[in-house]
Amino acid sequence: MKKRSKLSIFIFLFIGISVLFPLINMLLQIDFSNGNFQKLVASTAFKNALSHSLFVTSIGTILSVCIAFFLAYALNRTNIKHRSILKVLISLPMLIPSISHGLGLINLFGVNGIITQYIPFNIIGRVGIIMGSIIYSFPIAFLILDDGFYYIDNNLYSTAKVLGMNKWQTFKKVTFCYLKKPLLSAFFAVFTMIFTDYGVPLAVGGKYLTLPVFLYKEVIGLLDYSEGTMIGLFLLIPAFISFVFDTFFKNYGNVDNNHPFKREENKGRDILVSIGVYIILGFVIVLLGSFIYYAFVENVTLDKSFSLTHFNYVVGNNIGSYIFNSIFIALIVSLLGTIVGYSSAYVTARVKGKLSKFLHMFIICTLAIPGIVLGLSYTISFHNTFIYNTYVILIMVNIVHFIATPYLMAYNALLKVNQNYEIVAKTCNISTFRIVKDVIIPCTKNTIREMLVYLFVNSMVTISAVTFLFNSKTMPLSLLINNYEGNMMLGEAAIVSLLILIINVLAKVSVYILNYREERKKENYGIIEEAI
Amino acid sequence: MVNLKVENLSKTFDKKTVLNNISFEVMDGEFLSILGPSGCGKTTLLKILIGIEAPTSGEIMKGNKKITNLDPSKRKMGIVFQNYALFPNMTVLKNVSYALQLKLKNKKHAETESIKILKMMNMEEHLNKYPSELSGGQMQRVAIARTLALNPDIILFDEPMSALDADNRLVLRKELKKIQKEFHTTMIYITHDQEEAFSLSDRVMVMHDGNIEQLDKPNTIFNHPKNEYVKQFVTKHLVEKVRSIEKCTGIDL
Repeated sequence: MKKRSKLSIFIFLFIGISVLFPLINMLLQIDFSNGNFQKLVASTAFKNALSHSLFVTSIGTILSVCIAFFLAYALNRTNIKHRSILKVLISLPMLIPSISHGLGLINLFGVNGIITQYIPFNIIGRVGIIMGSIIYSFPIAFLILDDGFYYIDNNLYSTAKVLGMNKWQTFKKVTFCYLKKPLLSAFFAVFTMIFTDYGVPLAVGGKYLTLPVFLYKEVIGLLDYSEGTMIGLFLLIPAFISFVFDTFFKNYGNVDNNHPFKREENKGRDILVSIGVYIILGFVIVLLGSFIYYAFVENVTLDKSFSLTHFNYVVGNNIGSYIFNSIFIALIVSLLGTIVGYSSAYVTARVKGKLSKFLHMFIICTLAIPGIVLGLSYTISFHNTFIYNTYVILIMVNIVHFIATPYLMAYNALLKVNQNYEIVAKTCNISTFRIVKDVIIPCTKNTIREMLVYLFVNSMVTISAVTFLFNSKTMPLSLLINNYEGNMMLGEAAIVSLLILIINVLAKVSVYILNYREERKKENYGIIEEAI
Repeated sequence: MVNLKVENLSKTFDKKTVLNNISFEVMDGEFLSILGPSGCGKTTLLKILIGIEAPTSGEIMKGNKKITNLDPSKRKMGIVFQNYALFPNMTVLKNVSYALQLKLKNKKHAETESIKILKMMNMEEHLNKYPSELSGGQMQRVAIARTLALNPDIILFDEPMSALDADNRLVLRKELKKIQKEFHTTMIYITHDQEEAFSLSDRVMVMHDGNIEQLDKPNTIFNHPKNEYVKQFVTKHLVEKVRSIEKCTGIDL
């Protein structure tokens, strides 16, 4: 048997065991005949949770995509200064768990928040959920739209000018026309993110129960797995719709843009847009800054002096082992996930055939499974196996939860690498393994680093995928926030959030430096990874 | 002596016939061009010859050996692509010596051999440059050197000069002819450019819709086209040339 078909079989096996088995097993356990499903759907609690979820998700999605569109416009179409720094700041919210966004809002606008202790107002409830969800999701929408803007060829604008189209017509016929797909993509991605997230509503929702929190409380509080599964089914619906949309309408293989947009001078516009961008990012920075304040102030309402009480408490409570758990899991997920993602992408991008197409669809499918549903399916399906209560199950669930995006990164990069290398290798009697190791991997080094850091950062911040699967020995850092926040120990929760942020920033920065050095080296011998 | 023999070769993709029962022979040390418009089946034929595509039916013989189902690595054939397919992370010397080094398991020997060939290709000044620092013509020289280094029995060229400008093409054509004489390597050259095919080849094979329309020496094809298609195909090029001269000079030819 050829090595490559062995590899395909191995990948199929991995997906079969880690995705299909738990999901199908979970869905099979739903009993529609005993009336429980009908009872659940008819219950007031469920109806309320569903309508709450739909309400906050709809408003949150619209606002989040609007903010992301504004930011993407500002960074791509105006002469706003310090673009690369702004881009880094926009991505900051992605480096902390969603529960921390909720926590930051409580710090600022909670019952006794930094701001709300002076005014009789708080945002606990739907306003808080909407605000937290926006901060949590707009960076993702921004990335999609930023890409969308970048790939609109400048020649289209030149043509529009030659044809005498005015600004509004150009926006309608060129910009908007080409951004339709990225906008819809961003819309679906954000809708799914907010609809299935339980971190923000758990922290800031108060009594305003949404569907994922309902599921979480059923499973964690009441240990009612069957009802949890039924709710999980509803969480799969928007994820599934957005997956179908993306599969049929999104062009995964990006084309190169040889004619980047030429920005026009317009000082008034630049100033206005800059103010908007600084207000949005200022809010993000204040939110993150609130962690520092909460972490090192004795008591926000009574004693505002500098104190290490919270810090000492966190350190005294064995923080080292949680840090170890998180970093250990994130490192292994990052390494194994990159290997699985890269080798799958190698098969689908460079070994064509029906099997590859099937595999491609299969891996992208994992995008549609919300973390909390995946975690639940793992609890139900693996609780009697030896991997339960070990690091293995946490690593596995994280790989499956996050594999699709790094897979697509590798897929796009490998498609761009000259498709004839393997043929040359074959005729020169060089093994495929060798050519991959000596040529193809060095050509895609930057992408591999991006994959590693993506998996690392996301494993560090996730709570939804692992919330049902940890035990006292394997508990990661992110879940500690959940614990502290639940006990209203906001200072301690803030310290843990900061810790995760620092670790993730360090990971990102180190990859950035490595990639920057690589770019410099490549400039010396002139390789641009995308254009090989 | 016959080097390569193709017998009744056919290839169909989803009921579409791309190669229709074709047979031909290539002599030892011969330069054979396969000429035809895009979609005529010439690239599929090349893929089958090199061994990365399997024929639906028919046989390929190399010398007395049947190689129809032989692995590409065992066919002793090299290939040169239009887009060079040089390894961007390796220098010129490394590109050429890489495969040889793996074969000989001796770095020094591989490098000495590679330098010898690169010298012949007038590339000795560029040994330590990376592909992106070279011009198209230089990159194609490296690609040819890389293939020659392994001393294959047959080299296949897949439109190697299509990406080059006219001047470079002329120079490289001459060099290719020189190399062929020096190494006495059998070369099969795929192109849609008649000028290239006629000026380089010992024989030219005109293909159309998966069939061989004519396989002869260039002047035979030119003077005695076998059928209407070949006649049209050959004269079309001439007429175009005449028209362009007329346009430039204003003289009615």
